Amino acid sequence: MVITEPADLSPVAPPPSRSRGRRRSIVVLVVLAGAILALLSQGLLHNLNYFKTVDEVLASREAIGAGVIRLEGVVAPHSIQRTATGTDFVVTGSAGSIPVAATGTPPQLFQANIPVVVVGHFASAGSKTFLGSSIMVKHTAAYIAQHPNRVKAPNGTVR
Amino acid sequence: MKQLAQRLLGPVTLVSMALTVWLGLVVTPPDKVQGDLARLVYVHPAVAWVALYLSFGTATIASVLYLWPRTRSVVADRVAHSAMEVSLVFIALTLITGSIWGRPTWGVWWAWDARLTSTAILGLLAVGYLALRRANDDPTLRAKRSAVFAVLSAINVPIIHFSVLWWKTLHQGATVFTANRSLLIHGIMAWTLLLSFVAFSLAYAWLVRARYRLEVARERLDNEAITEAIAARVLEGRS
Repeated sequence: MVITEPADLSPVAPPPSRSRGRRRSIVVLVVLAGAILALLSQGLLHNLNYFKTVDEVLASREAIGAGVIRLEGVVAPHSIQRTATGTDFVVTGSAGSIPVAATGTPPQLFQANIPVVVVGHFASAGSKTFLGSSIMVKHTAAYIAQHPNRVKAPNGTVR
Repeated sequence: MKQLAQRLLGPVTLVSMALTVWLGLVVTPPDKVQGDLARLVYVHPAVAWVALYLSFGTATIASVLYLWPRTRSVVADRVAHSAMEVSLVFIALTLITGSIWGRPTWGVWWAWDARLTSTAILGLLAVGYLALRRANDDPTLRAKRSAVFAVLSAINVPIIHFSVLWWKTLHQGATVFTANRSLLIHGIMAWTLLLSFVAFSLAYAWLVRARYRLEVARERLDNEAITEAIAARVLEGRS
């Protein structure tokens, strides 16, 4: 092998892996921050509390007017009435109650004495009736057997 | 002894899982309010426990150990990486099982309440952690940056835990980790719930162990590839 010209011995720039890594890291963090902010604006920044209780709503009834809110309360017993367009019922808090006229089909767990969250608004700024567009059932964390006293007979039937 | 425990991990996990399925679907009674839907209590809380506390916790502790100069080791970095990957899977399962439970009970697949939103954010943070690992080629730099990221992300875990106490949420309050020990959950249902926690924790240990071993094998393969490439270059230079 014949060397015709001297080899290039000047220092070569190091591979740009470090700065490229940094740039990529920054891109990842920026995208992530954007996604988290989007989620937060959807979920939490509006209101950290998902709903207002019946008592809170009654206390600030004038400020709420006919604006859309999520109302939470316990379905009063014997108040549920099916209507042509949905269900009428009364939600109660500790200080009072609010009649609700909801449209659509309620969830399968909907029943008396269960806490619910109703999305909707009052019929007008001065109205007492809350017009619900959807009902969510807020079940409790208790797990109790359906028929705790039921026993199995020796032949396997349940009494 | 250690070897025996490692060998038994898989079979014991499967047996406890099978036992949970049997107790959860056959033996336990339906719930007074939720009926058969309550059986999801033997899946969803245990999955969430693994996602939030066990795996995200492991990843956080391993990251702290890596950042602390005296305990810094490649093992800590690998454990953090493996645990975070498993955490992401379980966070996804938490959101999916919760959604499946929410539709028939609440009436909606999703609600933007504090518990659900903060859990979704934790999932994003886990994705971010894994993306950050891929964005850095230098192993030391990667380990350091991802460890810092993991520790900062862990701030979200107590927020998720206390979200049901701090704010009003559609999600139910704490069932398991609560000071209120009055009988919220009855006899065999409580035992099955406890067993589900054991079963999913074992599954977690099994998965992290497998993921860790995979990482070790992958690193060895990489090193061998580099050695081979150097040898090839040396041969090239000689010819």
